[in-house]
Amino acid sequence: MAAVFYISSAVAVVATLLTITCRNAIHALLYLIVSLLAVAIDFFVMGAPFVAALELIIYAGAIMVLFIFVVMMLNMGEHAGETALDVFKPRAWAGPSLLALVLLAEIAALVSRQSAPLSGVEISSKQVGVALFGPYVIGVELASLLLTAGLLGAYHLGRKAVTREDEVHGIDTRQSRAVTGDPVVSAGAGRSSHAA
Amino acid sequence: MSALYPLLIIAVVLGIVLNLAGGLIWVERRLLALWQDRYGPNRVGPFGLGQVVADSVKLFTKEDWIPPFADKPVFVLAPAVVVATSLLAFAVIPFAAGFVIADLSVGILFLLAASSLGVYSVVLAGWSSNNKYALLGGLRATAQMLSYEVFMGLSLMGVVIMAGSFRLGDIVEAQRHMWYVVPQFAGFVMFLIAGVAETRRLPFDLAESESELIAGFHSEYSGMKFGMFFVGEYIGVILISAMLTLCYFGGWLGPVLPGPVWFGLKTMAFICLFILFRAALPRPRFDQLMSWGWKVLLPLALLNLLVTGAAVLLLR
Amino acid sequence: MPTSAAENYFPVLLQILIAMAVAGGMVGGSFFLGHKVRNRIKDMPYESGMVPTGDARGRFSVKFYLVGMLFILFDIEAIFLYPWVVVFHELKMLAFIEMVLFIVFVLAGFFYIWKKGVLNWAAEGNDEGKDAVRILSHDQHAA
Repeated sequence: MAAVFYISSAVAVVATLLTITCRNAIHALLYLIVSLLAVAIDFFVMGAPFVAALELIIYAGAIMVLFIFVVMMLNMGEHAGETALDVFKPRAWAGPSLLALVLLAEIAALVSRQSAPLSGVEISSKQVGVALFGPYVIGVELASLLLTAGLLGAYHLGRKAVTREDEVHGIDTRQSRAVTGDPVVSAGAGRSSHAA
Repeated sequence: MSALYPLLIIAVVLGIVLNLAGGLIWVERRLLALWQDRYGPNRVGPFGLGQVVADSVKLFTKEDWIPPFADKPVFVLAPAVVVATSLLAFAVIPFAAGFVIADLSVGILFLLAASSLGVYSVVLAGWSSNNKYALLGGLRATAQMLSYEVFMGLSLMGVVIMAGSFRLGDIVEAQRHMWYVVPQFAGFVMFLIAGVAETRRLPFDLAESESELIAGFHSEYSGMKFGMFFVGEYIGVILISAMLTLCYFGGWLGPVLPGPVWFGLKTMAFICLFILFRAALPRPRFDQLMSWGWKVLLPLALLNLLVTGAAVLLLR
Repeated sequence: MPTSAAENYFPVLLQILIAMAVAGGMVGGSFFLGHKVRNRIKDMPYESGMVPTGDARGRFSVKFYLVGMLFILFDIEAIFLYPWVVVFHELKMLAFIEMVLFIVFVLAGFFYIWKKGVLNWAAEGNDEGKDAVRILSHDQHAA
């Protein structure tokens, strides 16, 4: 089973590299999905099936779908990569990669000191649950507040985007607002009369 | 030996599922015809059964056309994703006591994960086709599948509370005295609705509603790649029917007849129910589908979960 | 069940490989079996027989993005429910109260955006159907 672990780890690393270097946004996201799937297999092999299932459901099945969905809605297939070319200049990546090297050295030092073998003992979802709803329950309740904040944030970001989108596309916002009885109509009318 | 036994089970399971998915094309057309008072396919072979072979030969030998305006690799990938993910889900479906490819301790979560990966097929197909109908259909299908995926997971959790395990084998064994459809009737109805929406079957086939979007996300697909969306849809129907049988109708449990026969009969009954939905129900509007899901199903699913929890606590 | 993880998941890996092989075989088989004829008309996007204008890379209503966000948030909420349902028999009342609190917090946000009209799929108007038509047709024109 160690072989499966190393193969899927290699797939994850290669797919992640391709994600970074790929020009087309959708293709890059597809590589990222492959990488996440490979990491899920790693979790399975290491005896953490619950975490593996969550990785599949949340990262591969939800967050990546949202990314692709947004790329699809924003119409940034081929040309999106061109604006990001600045990233490949040394000035952009020298600092971050220096810091990343320090982290890598730390991880290497830690890993070489103590090696946890692939024990193959399965951590059941019951054990995860007992830990979550026992000692870590404060974290769980805080997470629910975080989710609420996320809901409100998504709503307010989305609402602003609606009004801006209408202005950009120049559709008749006055007419649509008249239907809803939105007070913005009078403000808009006031501005135009002022200009005249 | 340890490697051969799973291989044998996989071969049997895949053989059953793929042949049944092909056969369902005939079953669906015959049943629809019966309910609509006409004949359906009855020319090729006895009862028209040869139609299945004729159709698959036709699909395989049709032109393999990839549109020049499409994103080619993604365009080819999308139909493969739908077949692969729905076949993958069958890894944890037990056909009888012990007859399962892998009885994982996270069985139900694995099923939910596989079905959440299935969303990619419609997103990618809709986007890569570079066709306006396909894009609209893909967007609709994605929004619909994402919404109903949440309720699908939540409605199943009532069953898990009662059985105390994600393992499908344990869930079936826990129903020895009473099928979960009785205490979990609300959960059953919600899961059925979410299942129909998740497989994009009528009445929830708004993603490909032919009168407005031609064929939705697979407008540009032809030949076997179109056939794979077709087969993938039927595999999805078989999967949801099998899950309904396992989680709410006692799986392979039943008197007199052997387990696999009971499982097959119950699953087949649900497949026929899916076809009856198609024959009997009109399609809702897209905004109705979305707001109904979020405003009615989501609060109900959470309520069902809490009530189930409270009942389990009190009755113990 | 302290069986080794290896024996449990080996069949799943096999199933993954075989499922991919079946899907690949279906695509590949039709690639080799079908004959190929191309012409200019066939290579146009299908738009009900009209000559296609523009391409299909338009911008879409922000509503779809909101549905995506809602989905992720509630999927994560469900993720917290999944371990809860299996420990229910051990932790009993404590776990129940914890989860009621959790769900109340999330539903507070949910009812806020409900009242703000995010779940009225079409637009802020009362007549949902009419506005849906407006948004969709607007998107098509923009595309």
